[in-house]
Amino acid sequence: MKKALTPKEIFSRTMLYLVVSLICIFILYPYFVMVCTSLKSRSEIFSMNSTVLPIKPMWENFLEIWKRAPMGTYMLNSILIATGSSLIAMLCGIPAAYALARMKFKGQTAFLGFIIVSQMFAPVVLLIGIYKVMSTLHMSNSIIGLIFINAAFNQAFTIWLLRGTFMSISEEMEQAAKIDGCNRMQSMFKVLLPMAAPGIVTTLIFIFINAWNEYTVALCLISTDTFKPLTVGINIFNGYNIIEWQYLFAASLFAIIPVLIMFMSIEKNLTSGLTAGGVKG
Amino acid sequence: MSKKTSAANKSPLLRRAEPYLWIAPSIILMTIFIIIPIFTVFRMAFSEVSKTGRIRGFAGFANFLNVMDNPEFSKVLSNTVVWTILVVVLSTVLGFILALLLNNKFKGRKIARAIVVFPWATTLVIQASAWKFIINKDYGALNALLKTMGLIQTNIDWTPTPEAFFAWEIACGIFVTIPFVCFTVLSGLQSIDDSYYEAATVDGAGYFQKLFNITLPLVKNSLTVATVLNIIYVFNSFPIVWTMTKGDPAYQTDTLVTYLYKLAFYNGKQGEAAAVSVIGFTILLICASVYMVSTLKKGDE
Amino acid sequence: MKKIIAMLLVLVMALGLVACGGGSDEKVELKVIAAQYGGKTAEWWVGFEKDFEAANGNIDLVVDVVSWNDIYTVVNTRISNNDAPDILNIDVFADYQADGLLLPAEDYVSDETYAKFYPAFLDQSVVDGTVWAIPDLASARALYYNADILAAAGVEVPTTWAELKDVCEAIKAYDANIYPWGVDMTTDEGQACFAYYAWTNGGGFVDASGNWTLNSAENVEAANYILGLVADGLTNTNPATETRYDLQEMFAAGKLAMMIGPNQISSYVASTENPINFGIASIPANEGKSTSSVGVMDRFMVFDNEHSDAEMEAITKFFDFFYEDKRYSDWVIMEDFLPATSAGGQIMAEADPAAAAWIEIVGSAQFYPAAKAEWADVKQGVINVLQQGLLGQDVQGLLDALQADIAG
Repeated sequence: MKKALTPKEIFSRTMLYLVVSLICIFILYPYFVMVCTSLKSRSEIFSMNSTVLPIKPMWENFLEIWKRAPMGTYMLNSILIATGSSLIAMLCGIPAAYALARMKFKGQTAFLGFIIVSQMFAPVVLLIGIYKVMSTLHMSNSIIGLIFINAAFNQAFTIWLLRGTFMSISEEMEQAAKIDGCNRMQSMFKVLLPMAAPGIVTTLIFIFINAWNEYTVALCLISTDTFKPLTVGINIFNGYNIIEWQYLFAASLFAIIPVLIMFMSIEKNLTSGLTAGGVKG
Repeated sequence: MSKKTSAANKSPLLRRAEPYLWIAPSIILMTIFIIIPIFTVFRMAFSEVSKTGRIRGFAGFANFLNVMDNPEFSKVLSNTVVWTILVVVLSTVLGFILALLLNNKFKGRKIARAIVVFPWATTLVIQASAWKFIINKDYGALNALLKTMGLIQTNIDWTPTPEAFFAWEIACGIFVTIPFVCFTVLSGLQSIDDSYYEAATVDGAGYFQKLFNITLPLVKNSLTVATVLNIIYVFNSFPIVWTMTKGDPAYQTDTLVTYLYKLAFYNGKQGEAAAVSVIGFTILLICASVYMVSTLKKGDE
Repeated sequence: MKKIIAMLLVLVMALGLVACGGGSDEKVELKVIAAQYGGKTAEWWVGFEKDFEAANGNIDLVVDVVSWNDIYTVVNTRISNNDAPDILNIDVFADYQADGLLLPAEDYVSDETYAKFYPAFLDQSVVDGTVWAIPDLASARALYYNADILAAAGVEVPTTWAELKDVCEAIKAYDANIYPWGVDMTTDEGQACFAYYAWTNGGGFVDASGNWTLNSAENVEAANYILGLVADGLTNTNPATETRYDLQEMFAAGKLAMMIGPNQISSYVASTENPINFGIASIPANEGKSTSSVGVMDRFMVFDNEHSDAEMEAITKFFDFFYEDKRYSDWVIMEDFLPATSAGGQIMAEADPAAAAWIEIVGSAQFYPAAKAEWADVKQGVINVLQQGLLGQDVQGLLDALQADIAG
């Protein structure tokens, strides 16, 4: 049964829609520019009287990038890297966050500090050292190497956010599960993790996107074209005498699609989770 | 029941070791792939390094002194501070507001959230290129748009001074950082039970009272974590400034990271570049320690 | 969750196998890093790899094509880790040579191939009487002008600095929306800007005996001249952030009347939808001074990776194969550069009369003193001087300081 809305509610609804739409338009503007540019010819992009919309959309630009570069391979590599890093980061991060939230041990604060400190150098700075580690492990020029690097870079966020999430969840349910005969592992998997879904999903999105966008390390580690992720691969449109903006933007737009699909498919977990899990009280 | 007894029968040693086993994978991962490379940086910072990056011997603090002698270094340092503070503060405020908006239930929320992901889902290099493209005076999309709408007649130079260019870079930095803050806060908001608000409404609390008395304290945890990490990421951010200006003109738009990148890969001074990164690290470490001492201990008790 | 973990393990192992696969043959492996000159570079090298391996069954050639934006990062990272490529294609070589990382060219280039190069080009890679790198291709700079704009403004092509300024003012008076003169003082290539004016004023980076002369009166006058043009509003708006790519696009779009640029602009403009009517001329020089072109040359070099005899033989074969006249000139033409071998020059000149003129220009061009160890600092230094000049600093003082810094 829907109640009739009061004028005040109607006003705040309208304002909400208005503000959200404005923000969305603002956010989408650079993408609108990228779409328009990707559909223009090179001469049109730089013409004296440039128009907002392409005069004659060149849809073939989107086909051309596939002819000019092994986009499918790049994309597959990016998906492998992003998925692999997310899984490994979770696999290492969840137990650590769990230990920090549910156990008491010496060096807890030191460990938290260690995690933060590990983030304090830009990847650009660490390149030379990373390359050395990778060569020692025979992982340079491999996708697995990039997976580990991205997983490591994202440990801090993973652990800190999950620790916070776990701590905000009452321990009662887990203790109840323990009484029912579950051990730590079981109670974590069966009780805690489902309730922590929003935090886990946020973390997953975060790692996936970060790994998807990583550029500098991939650039230096990967020398074989067939192992390159999209970010590095599309450099093919960035030549010595000419930057082919239309292709660069077309390829980048195309690179957003998998992220969007990933996001849309797990987004609903952002809203359910805790409230459904029943932490009331 | 048998499981429970086995758990209870664990030897004290095992029980004491257990937490360390849980954190071990994470420690190993970070040590190999981050901490070891960090040692390389420290080693280079205190070494005499040849132009091609070969270590030639111990140099003490020579690299640090050389860097601090450079007249541009103080400008670069103050740029970095301005850049970090503005990007972090503004993106946190805006991201927080956006999260509050997106936490309302409304039709099309899913689409709105997906749109907010966009700036995040694009590589920074491309993102920054697009912005550079938009604000260009001669073929930029913004001037074209304003002209089409009839708002201007002649092209506007959006970047007449280095400061203006730097402001655009900061704007771009804020733009790409908002989604990060927004989704961190959003995940915190999700964990707030509606019953709190219902109770407060019954007590006659207004919107802002609820915001400050319920929402803020409850998302504080995830927000502080996000902010600390955000400060570190923004401080070390490289692609935006590099793509838009490379620090030009004359270091006026450089931050520490772009500056050290030029030192390392354009000037062949890898020792000095490593020294710059150690200086940056020290600054971050001091800030983080202050945070650790104040917030963290309080929060854990 | 257990399933996920199991799947993950399988995934990790599978990836591990991919990473470790291959590499058990007794083949000689050659690692090459090549610079990406254009959109077809990568494709060309794939074909080259195939052809070369077909002709030399025992050699495994691995070519990594890297864009110019990133090549220094990639190469320096690898060298710092003692993982230098066997063969590198890049512009600079002096730093590598100074660290004793390179092999002399005579160790790996066959006599037959060595004889093909223009001697003047080989001279650019000499340190202490030894040739340390071989030229792969070159380009030269000249004045490009939009003939229609000049005609409409009623002016002739300028040959001196004074004329250049007059022409710029005439163009500005004719149409204020057109930029008369293109200037690029960015970190990308600001040193070229410095060279254009210093060299056409009798100045330069070094004197005849190779000593740095950065703060010479000629250089100061040159820098002040071009900064003056910028200050008078006769150039593009933001010389410190507008790269030569931007200039080239604006020139092709008819928004920029004149610029100094590389020979590739010709084919670039020709490939646009409505090509402008352009002409090429010598770079204007100061009154009483002679004009000079700026030559840019890239190189191949071989790193001393303690090669076996078989590997050295493979490297020699690589260069013999690469510089085969037909293959080499095809490559240079495809990349739209100028050849570094006389046979390549002949083939190109026969194919295209316009190229012949350019080959002559590059023959008389001046090159950066890239063989000197301080060059990287000088390059960044003069760029900084020009950019500080844009912000209103005193050029004389800046160049004095740079000279003191470099020459000690």
